[in-house]
Amino acid sequence: MNRKLFLTLFAAMFVLQASFIHVEARQIDYKSEEFREVASQFACTCGCGQDHFECDPNTCSLTKSFKKDLVGMMNKGMNKDQIRDYYVKIYGEEILTSPEKSGFSLTAWVLPFVVLGGAGAGVLFIIRKWAKKKDDDEPTLDIKSEKDEVEGEILSSIIDEERKKYL
Amino acid sequence: MYLFSNATIYIGLAIAIYSLLVMTLGIIKKNQKLINSGKGGVIALFICAGMAMLSLFYLLATSQFKFEYVTDYTSSELPIIYKLTALWAGNAGSLLLWTFFLTLYTVMITFSRKMKGNPMVPYINSILLVNAVFFFFILGFVAKPFAILDTVPTEGKGLNPMLQNPGMIIHPVTLYLGYVGLSVPFAFAMAALIMKNMDDFWIKMTRRWTIIAWLFLSLGNIFGGQWAYVELGWGGYWAWDPVENASFMPWLTATAFLHSVMIQERKNMLKVWNISLIIISYALTLFGTFLVRSGVLTSVHAFANSNLGLYFLIFMAFAVIGALYILMSRYNLIKRSAGEFNSIVSKESSFLINNLLLVGAAFAIFWGTIFPLVSEAVRGTKVTVGTPFFNKVEAPILLSMMFIMAVCPLLAWQRSTVKNLKKNFLLPAVLAVVAMILMVVLGIQKAWAVIGYGVIALLFVTHYLEFYRGIKARRKMTGEMPLVALYRLMTKNRRRYGGYLVHLGIAFITMGIIGSQNYDLQTMKTIPLGKSIEIKDYRINYDKLDQRKEGINDIIYAKVTVFKDGKSLGTFEPQKVFYGHWDEPSSEVAIISSLKEDLYIVLSAWEDDGRATFVVKVNPMMDWLWIGSFMIVLGALFAVWNGKYQNLTPRYTGVRKEVS
Repeated sequence: MNRKLFLTLFAAMFVLQASFIHVEARQIDYKSEEFREVASQFACTCGCGQDHFECDPNTCSLTKSFKKDLVGMMNKGMNKDQIRDYYVKIYGEEILTSPEKSGFSLTAWVLPFVVLGGAGAGVLFIIRKWAKKKDDDEPTLDIKSEKDEVEGEILSSIIDEERKKYL
Repeated sequence: MYLFSNATIYIGLAIAIYSLLVMTLGIIKKNQKLINSGKGGVIALFICAGMAMLSLFYLLATSQFKFEYVTDYTSSELPIIYKLTALWAGNAGSLLLWTFFLTLYTVMITFSRKMKGNPMVPYINSILLVNAVFFFFILGFVAKPFAILDTVPTEGKGLNPMLQNPGMIIHPVTLYLGYVGLSVPFAFAMAALIMKNMDDFWIKMTRRWTIIAWLFLSLGNIFGGQWAYVELGWGGYWAWDPVENASFMPWLTATAFLHSVMIQERKNMLKVWNISLIIISYALTLFGTFLVRSGVLTSVHAFANSNLGLYFLIFMAFAVIGALYILMSRYNLIKRSAGEFNSIVSKESSFLINNLLLVGAAFAIFWGTIFPLVSEAVRGTKVTVGTPFFNKVEAPILLSMMFIMAVCPLLAWQRSTVKNLKKNFLLPAVLAVVAMILMVVLGIQKAWAVIGYGVIALLFVTHYLEFYRGIKARRKMTGEMPLVALYRLMTKNRRRYGGYLVHLGIAFITMGIIGSQNYDLQTMKTIPLGKSIEIKDYRINYDKLDQRKEGINDIIYAKVTVFKDGKSLGTFEPQKVFYGHWDEPSSEVAIISSLKEDLYIVLSAWEDDGRATFVVKVNPMMDWLWIGSFMIVLGALFAVWNGKYQNLTPRYTGVRKEVS
């Protein structure tokens, strides 16, 4: 019994140790999706105008070391939000490729939709206002009117063509 | 040569001022002789700008390094084509190109047969001449293309290798033709307001010129994207850089104008709004130039920092305030002829929503572009507003836009009833839903992609039905063969069917964008010689690493054989080019294209032992992006082309005033 227990414990330790070694040795492809999620959050400051996912580590030493640090953190088990918080604490919001969704920076995200919503309400109000006056006294047109419109256009173009031929 | 080339600029400035004054005086005194003198000045101005262009071309081609501009942007070993295109590589040269196009457009309008006898011509001329005075002033005193150096260098600094690409020959030219082109509708709008006359002829001419400017802006953006894709080696085509945004914003507002002007044409409504869109589009072109020339925002496209931006800012303020003043002073007059809508649900309403979304998209881009400055002013922190922001904010707006584009053709002018809607939309809606279900079944499971492709499917069906209905109606009346009926249907209403071709082009582009943004695959691997990289169905065998010399440039290249599903696609050569006159190397990528996807191979780095690092990408549906771009150009050309029986804009036959 003791021997069985010992063997089980030994096997478990071996498995755990193996997975530990595996984590340490994990290679992360700089162009993988998991790396993109983390690295594309940060703007490269070398002047390339790209983020740390896009910037080429073979021509930019800045992104080379930054990428290494990111891989190190990912291997330590930090997720993208933790890594983001870590860098924002050190460098501030300026290091991010897009503004934070809090504080004053929230206005960057919200304002376009607020303006669009307000303008949309205005447009709907105007359409209703303009349409209201005619709503009661105009007869209802149906699909036929649309068909007539196309046919009318074609007819007038044929007449125009004939007119130009003979005049 | 120094004297001659500089003379073209300063004489040009003098002529521009003279023409402006004499034209204005002619308008005030109603004196045709003065107007004619001003028109002569316009020709002289065009000749001056043309001579200045030819002078700079000559100086660049003959490598006359005593000229600062030639030294800064060329070197003696540069191929002749790139020596010539260096004309728009720098600040001064590109502004000269801008000025040349401006004078070209001014001449075209002044002596257009269609505009003959039109009393608007002197007003339009005067407004364009104000622009010409500004640009000649800039060329004469701020960004001088013909400045000389104290000591003559033996060699020039060379042209940025990124600009040594066929895309760069045509991208700036088309973009500038678009930018400058938007000053023409602006001049038409101001002239109409001053003369209190916005007749049918004005609408036709303004729209025609806006389509031309829009076409060139589209081409400029397309060529820019294509250049970025093949030359920059990052596998993308649009980075939401401030300068890219600056060219996209006027495109959006001009698109809005091209739609809303139809309501003005049919119902004599939205005059104030349409004029405002023209003013905004024109102001945005100046804003874009301000961004590129001022260095106020970080951009990979920006010219060297200079105080030029300030001049553009002042000119933009002058133009916008002046335009708004004229608009306000005529507000009651324009407002008086406002009409009404017949129904809430109609094509007119869909155009208003289309305008809302297009202008909303332009505002979102504007806001994102200037937010770093706003944030710095308010908090002292200059944040970066990059791709993730624009993708997230623009995606829902532009997708809604696509939806409106899909449903609009089936909405009737005046009024659409519920019965009409049901009958028209049941089949397209069912087919779109079936397409979405099929996509999910086939493995497309990202929500944005499914919704996006669903909307595109809807657009294809509604546009197909629109063509089908037209052909059917035509055949019913004439008994023509289907293809003949299609041809005649389209050529008899070029504007409408040209517009539909543009819609289909936009749908193809959107297909490409959704595919390449959501389903791209990438890997970066370092492998020894003889080994291979596998990605998706592809295997890339690394066969050889070598180098060769081309002129003063050193080229390191890898030979790779590409297999797809075990079948060879051929041998390719991704390269890294090291330039004799430039510090940074550039990548020449290998692209294997198909309608389904692009395989994009970049040679990133190598070691002495022969190991090499490759970045390999699979970008789905890229070809559709270029096919869609081609269709946009085709559609716009089709819309503005004058057919055999078609006079889109007949000659002016309106009231002839004292001067024209």
